[in-house]
Amino acid sequence: MIINTMAEGITLAKSLETDSGIFYKALAEKYPAQSEKILAWAKENEKFITQIERAYYGVISDAIEGCFALNLETEKYTLNKFPIESKSYNDALDHAIKIENVIISYYENAAEQSKALMADVPRMFIIIARKRKARVEEILALK
Amino acid sequence: MALLQEPIKGVKEIKNYINGEWVDSKGKMVDVVNPATMKTIAKCPISTEDEFNTAVAAAKEAYPDWRKTTPLARSRMLFRLKELMEEHFEEVSRVQTQEHGKCIDESRGETRRGIENVEVACGIPTMMQGYYSEDIASGMDEWVIPSPLGVFGVIGPYNFPWMIPLWSAPYAVATGNCVVIKPSSEVPISQMKLGELAEEAGFPPGVWNIVNGGRSVVNAMLDNRDIVGITFVGSTPVGRDVIYKRCGETGKRVIAQCGAKNFMTIMPDCDVDRTIAAMMTSFYGNAGQRCLAASNAVIVGDDDKFYKNFMQKVAEQAAKIKIGYGLDESIQMGPLRDTDKKTNVVKYIEAGIKEGAQLTLDGRKPKIIGDYPDNCFLGPTIFEKVTPNMKIAAEEIFGPVMSVIRVKTLDEAIKISNDNPYGNGHSIFTSNGKAARQFQYNINSGNVGINVGITAAIAFFPFGGAKDSFFGVLHTQGKEAVRFFTESKVVIQRWF
Repeated sequence: MIINTMAEGITLAKSLETDSGIFYKALAEKYPAQSEKILAWAKENEKFITQIERAYYGVISDAIEGCFALNLETEKYTLNKFPIESKSYNDALDHAIKIENVIISYYENAAEQSKALMADVPRMFIIIARKRKARVEEILALK
Repeated sequence: MALLQEPIKGVKEIKNYINGEWVDSKGKMVDVVNPATMKTIAKCPISTEDEFNTAVAAAKEAYPDWRKTTPLARSRMLFRLKELMEEHFEEVSRVQTQEHGKCIDESRGETRRGIENVEVACGIPTMMQGYYSEDIASGMDEWVIPSPLGVFGVIGPYNFPWMIPLWSAPYAVATGNCVVIKPSSEVPISQMKLGELAEEAGFPPGVWNIVNGGRSVVNAMLDNRDIVGITFVGSTPVGRDVIYKRCGETGKRVIAQCGAKNFMTIMPDCDVDRTIAAMMTSFYGNAGQRCLAASNAVIVGDDDKFYKNFMQKVAEQAAKIKIGYGLDESIQMGPLRDTDKKTNVVKYIEAGIKEGAQLTLDGRKPKIIGDYPDNCFLGPTIFEKVTPNMKIAAEEIFGPVMSVIRVKTLDEAIKISNDNPYGNGHSIFTSNGKAARQFQYNINSGNVGINVGITAAIAFFPFGGAKDSFFGVLHTQGKEAVRFFTESKVVIQRWF
């Protein structure tokens, strides 16, 4: 499916943040030794949602010109199901890296496409993509 | 994509808000129809002159005490209103989509722009400060006090049901005046919701009033001697020949923001992809029902290859626009406000064909996403080989129609833009600073865009057009609104 409007873009971003947050909470529960760090990522996801919403709802051009902001295929930004109970710690961390890369790719592509019309949303997307790249390094360090 | 939930269920009874009470009107009721679904979602009264005059009398009675309420206290009430608007942000946005038809992105943008005016008006304790000169003559001082005037009328249009009354009303009450708002009877629900929030914010009875209706209410507003000024947004014939003229006759202040025919000048050195993105939102956003919507695309230069490639991309993008009910987040263009408005736009399309313009993209039979009646829907339309004297290039269409005119030079583009009687929002797309400056300097337009397609001033800048797009002196929004809603009382002092 192709999405064009920023309303859809925000809904997709929120869904990616929420779903990845659920994965991290499950991961933290299974591996209590690392739970503090992993739960911090889930909490950070919630902050990202707030920041994105603030940018979208708080800046006029980001909403009023949102109808023609994007041209993205949603299939590229699907988070696959991961049976955490039956997988190893390393498999779970590999999956976390995959999740992060999907989300980074979404934010970077959406920012690139929307920057012709938007003001703050693409800027926020880039900031979050940068933070997620740092998170990937943190995940790798746990391996 | 799933449809967002509709906040209006069933058929809402619209009431007037007079002297702090929600009251039924004795006038006849008209249906408010959701233009996407064609379902009646509200009944709006066409109030009587007496009902309007009752509201003015209540406002007049409330005025002395409201004027004495300190600017700081008035500001705090506006802060409370702003908080409530934020709390109800999504609900009021969806109401706009339901009653008007615009897409949810556009409604959210409109909600934000309305709130921004309240935010600016919250600064009234400093914004309405006067100024002082010591010793204008030996031992004499002089100062100016911006003073409120009384009761103002606000007449809203159908294309921005929430935002446009907010260009005026927050500044009017912040400066110590009282208001009577007449929303468009086609889209009264947003203003009823705003009235409920104003009531909850604690405005005293009579300060903020709403009287729904049509011409009879407008006539009563113009005739009523206790109305000291009017802000109006609507068509040029009504704004110029009725509102402006009769305000002059009855000594009322007036801001009349009227029709438009906006020209977008495209230079061959523009950033093509970004220009086309801006064209889509400017020509087709809000289904072209914006006084700042671009209507004529003026493409400069005689490079046929550039022109052909550019227009091919424009037509491809326009043809892909998703049309449907704006509460579906995937929709990029909603319906026109009603069937009459669609019929009017179709007449212009037929006129364009008759006058010999090339119909590159015909929006008369749009593909609608979802199972909705096509009564009010139109698709994006593009005409090429348009000349400035054709009806489609000269008159306001107020629909999703792009007329493309080719010219050889920037001077020629500026000339044909300036020759048109309207001057609301013209823009240029270029990567050349000299061309941009030349355009900005010579174009006769109230709002000018440089690589910006919708030249809508933010709340702390004045909003108004030029030529037949605006009648009055001061504009709505920001400092100019504060000046409009206050009289400069000058005091000269000498003590013996």
